[in-house]
Amino acid sequence: MNGGIAKKTLTHIGISFVLLLNILPLLIALSSSFRSVSNMTNPLQLFSEFSLESYRVAFDKMHFMQALGNSLMLTVISVVVVVLFTSMAAYPIARINNRLSKALYLFFLCGLVVPSQMVIIPIVQTIQGLHIPSSQYTPILMFITCSIPFSSFLYTGFIKSSIPIEVEESALIDGAGLMRRFWQIVFPLLLPVTVSVVITQGVWIWNDYFFNMIFISRAAESPLPLAMLGFMGDQTNPTAWNVLFAACFLCALPLLVMFAFLQKYFIGGLTVGSVKG
Amino acid sequence: MNSAVLKKTMYWFVVPALTMYLVFWIYPILRLFQYSFSDYNGFIQNFNYIGFDNFSQIFKDGVAGTSLSNTLIYTLVFVVFSNLIALGLAFLLNMKIRATGLYRTAAYVPTLFSAIVVGFIWSYVYMPDSGLIATVLSWFGVDGASLNLLGNYSSALYAITAVDVWKHIGTSTVIFLAGLQTVPVDLEEAGRIDGASSWQVTRFIRLPLLATSMTINVTLSLINGLKAFDYSFIMTNGGPGRATSTLLFEIFRMAFREMQYGKASALAVVSFIVIIAITIFFVLRLNKREVSA
Repeated sequence: MNGGIAKKTLTHIGISFVLLLNILPLLIALSSSFRSVSNMTNPLQLFSEFSLESYRVAFDKMHFMQALGNSLMLTVISVVVVVLFTSMAAYPIARINNRLSKALYLFFLCGLVVPSQMVIIPIVQTIQGLHIPSSQYTPILMFITCSIPFSSFLYTGFIKSSIPIEVEESALIDGAGLMRRFWQIVFPLLLPVTVSVVITQGVWIWNDYFFNMIFISRAAESPLPLAMLGFMGDQTNPTAWNVLFAACFLCALPLLVMFAFLQKYFIGGLTVGSVKG
Repeated sequence: MNSAVLKKTMYWFVVPALTMYLVFWIYPILRLFQYSFSDYNGFIQNFNYIGFDNFSQIFKDGVAGTSLSNTLIYTLVFVVFSNLIALGLAFLLNMKIRATGLYRTAAYVPTLFSAIVVGFIWSYVYMPDSGLIATVLSWFGVDGASLNLLGNYSSALYAITAVDVWKHIGTSTVIFLAGLQTVPVDLEEAGRIDGASSWQVTRFIRLPLLATSMTINVTLSLINGLKAFDYSFIMTNGGPGRATSTLLFEIFRMAFREMQYGKASALAVVSFIVIIAITIFFVLRLNKREVSA
């Protein structure tokens, strides 16, 4: 049995080493963010100083509260619309088994492959052509559109595999119309996928800087990742590192806090669509 | 239509998503093809069609070739390493030991950071002189000052790919772990009773049953690799020279820095064809190999 214990200890040491290496850049950045400028010479002495001065500077420089509000607004609106639109779209595609459904399914799925940066020129032109003003809200259109392929893919798979049509048939006999059947019976049963969609799409929308950079020009309208772009150039200047890293962690903090509380949903949400039933 | 529940009117539910998808995704892709044959610059609305000039130009001055090969190298390195490392980690984390939850969290945390934050932090890691790698090397008496991974033609592309691998591993690991947990224990037991070594159990029982997660992970990493843009944009600005300019970075640079919409669109069309071809090829091959428990 001694061999077993030794083996386990070795495994623990092995895993810890690999993962420590994995999060080392984050640890060093975190420790540097608590330092003052005069103490930046040896960033590898971890957590030798705790000063919140750089956080105060970064907080002001990126207008943290304002940026946080903007990020929340963009993410919440986009995610809510994505959940509504894609769960609805997946419903007939999963239920009705004909050529049209198959074609729609594949048509949406194709969108997964095309990267947004590639089509950005005609997207900007299309939005201008529709006389939609470039504002704080414009990126929402693209966040929703880009989330449609993956989300409808998840919803379709789940309705097909896990929501038997019988649950609706009894409601039909009770006289429930299409709308009531979907919103009161099917939609609540979709909760596991809805969690998965909210988390997978919410994280990328929250972290995206690209569409924000294209459409938002006023500092007051910037969400967090776009506010981070204001620090561009500081990464090669060691004297600016403490403030830069403080800004990095301020930017990541909301998601890290969410993750700390909802870890099980983050991990589970990732795998809902990925394990065939 | 076997059930009374199913009515054609259900298709109305597709309309909102389909409308957005058509207007903001499909229509722009079609316009891309139109622009690629024009001298459009974004300002003057009446542009001329110039045939294949944009295409011959981007191939003649080497932009298309360089960014295409950069993207393919990036994708290959990214797919291979992110999946191998994640697979290894998943096997480690699937062992019956304590604190796997904690380990899984440590593996997953990097995926939560925005690419822009990741880019900044890794720029520090790679900095010559005072960066992380340079400092660690100096402990061992190696002069880290001359080691400029991001500034060197031959290493810059691999350096930014490593960053993307680092950020992506958590996602792949979690998907592999979920796959491993669906491998029936009695199947592994049966293998052991038949005298299979632990390597044989892994090779002949676990790996084939991981095919679904493998397909998902390879597909996701493939799509992600072909989309490479973030770290060229944040960390190297495509440089040195064109060493890290991927297809998407080059499209962005041509369009928004040089205002050459026509040329950028031509490169986008080239990327479009390459990306679609590679993805279809892989998805078809991988789907054939799947087995189920």
